[in-house]
Amino acid sequence: MRILRTIVLALGVAAAVLPFVWLLSTSLKGAEELFAYPPVLIPSVIVWENYSGLWNAVPMASYFMNSLIVTILSVTGTVLFCSLAGFALARYRFKYQQLFLVMIIAAMMVPKEVIILPLFTIILKLGLADSLAGVILPFIVDAMGIFMMRQAFLSIPAEIEEAGVMDGASPFILWWKVMMPMTRPMMATLAIFTFIASWGDFLWPLVVLKSPEHFTLQVGLSYLIGTFVDNFRYVAAGGIISIIPVVIVFVFMQKYFERGLFSGSGK
Amino acid sequence: MMKKITPYLFLAPAIFFIGLFVIVPMVQVFSVSFLRYSFFGPNEFIGFENYRKLFHDPNFWWTLSNSLLYVLVTPVLMVVSLVFALSIRRSVKSAKLLRLSFFLPVITPVVVVGIMWKWMFAEESGIINYLLSFIGMEHIPWLTQYPVNMLSVMILTIWRGFGYYMMIILAGLALIPAEIEEAGVLDGATPFQQVIHILLPNLKPTLLFIFVVSSSSAIKLFTELYVLIPGVPMNNKTLVAYLYRLSFERFDFGYGSALAVIIFLVTSLFSYANFRMMEQRS
Repeated sequence: MRILRTIVLALGVAAAVLPFVWLLSTSLKGAEELFAYPPVLIPSVIVWENYSGLWNAVPMASYFMNSLIVTILSVTGTVLFCSLAGFALARYRFKYQQLFLVMIIAAMMVPKEVIILPLFTIILKLGLADSLAGVILPFIVDAMGIFMMRQAFLSIPAEIEEAGVMDGASPFILWWKVMMPMTRPMMATLAIFTFIASWGDFLWPLVVLKSPEHFTLQVGLSYLIGTFVDNFRYVAAGGIISIIPVVIVFVFMQKYFERGLFSGSGK
Repeated sequence: MMKKITPYLFLAPAIFFIGLFVIVPMVQVFSVSFLRYSFFGPNEFIGFENYRKLFHDPNFWWTLSNSLLYVLVTPVLMVVSLVFALSIRRSVKSAKLLRLSFFLPVITPVVVVGIMWKWMFAEESGIINYLLSFIGMEHIPWLTQYPVNMLSVMILTIWRGFGYYMMIILAGLALIPAEIEEAGVLDGATPFQQVIHILLPNLKPTLLFIFVVSSSSAIKLFTELYVLIPGVPMNNKTLVAYLYRLSFERFDFGYGSALAVIIFLVTSLFSYANFRMMEQRS
């Protein structure tokens, strides 16, 4: 039984990881080994020039910066706005509360694939087409995230809030200084899920962005395939570059990602 | 007075963005679906005409059946993730690196996933056909021939999801009290019997959750298709791909919106079920 388990485990890891090994190896190959048959897994000579070549051939630095801006602003905005909304829904009783809840649930059920055309016309009318703001704003609040934060605020004992109120804290200070720090684990979970979604998002930036200097890494990469069809090594290098940030962030936040999965709230 | 408006102030940014970027577009989709509305002609109210046309459109039925066919990834994903979860649940807890390797396909941007699999599926130079040649198989046209290329997209989807669902099942397994399992062992149940009679019944909520999430993303499938086999003709297209063609290529907004409403109705069944399950759990 033990042996069987080990074999299955090894198969799973191999299936998950080998395509990445292949990508990495392609990004480090010389031209002659690229289409060698049988395929070569470990290049005989490591060609780092594929990376510098790619960096010089297309504005990779600009793609990278754009992706970074989009991702950081999306994560910050989502966590902040969802926290504010979740706090109100969990800690206050007010008129039309149910209506707001229903609205948020309805929003959760709308797939973005379905509204992408009217969304694009709205972005056009706002003059945000072909801009990073147009990429960021429509998805800066996540209905599911509001629910996650509401859940986190609901679980804080009433005494803590009361202590804050006794100290004379204003509602905003109460949220910022007393309550929000207590929801840090859930904020981290929401942040890592948003980071992965935003860094990897492709369809929406593809629809919004037209000029190359505004491209995110994913859009740039997809055009790279068109222009450098004959240079697979550049494309592979681009792929590796776009994986690295998300892996680094993930390694540090893995705990919170798993926690999100385990509570069944992963997006 | 101040106290009364406080919660509304806290809610304002979220409600503003959700209203402007989710509710308004969705209302537009609904209302435009009753219009003849395109770049090329006058707009007029035509009632359910777009829907009637849709139900007589062979492309609609074709893409709908393709989308439903893609839902077949769900049972496969459930079985594969379950097998992996059961095999590694004792060993994986401690090894962070091991878990990272299972998550790698999950966190990788879909464009990169598309690039990798396109090369591996390549007919002449791809590693998959190379490996298959060892067991004497002819080269398979993974990307160019229907319905094989649908299978390729399904394989990509399964590869991208199995680590994720496996982890969810591991979480479900961790919730099963140890005593229940030990009782089974004492009763002399074989490992297989244990899985069937003890673990599976206890995993029902987890498996239901996976069924709902995986099926609804299969209905919405488009990006994976787009990155793996862009520009292929209609024959393997999904509902969402057809929606894109109607909206961004034919600019037939009224007709496209009717299709969008149908897609929304199908997926909302799944997301409603998902929401109810989330509520029950918390």
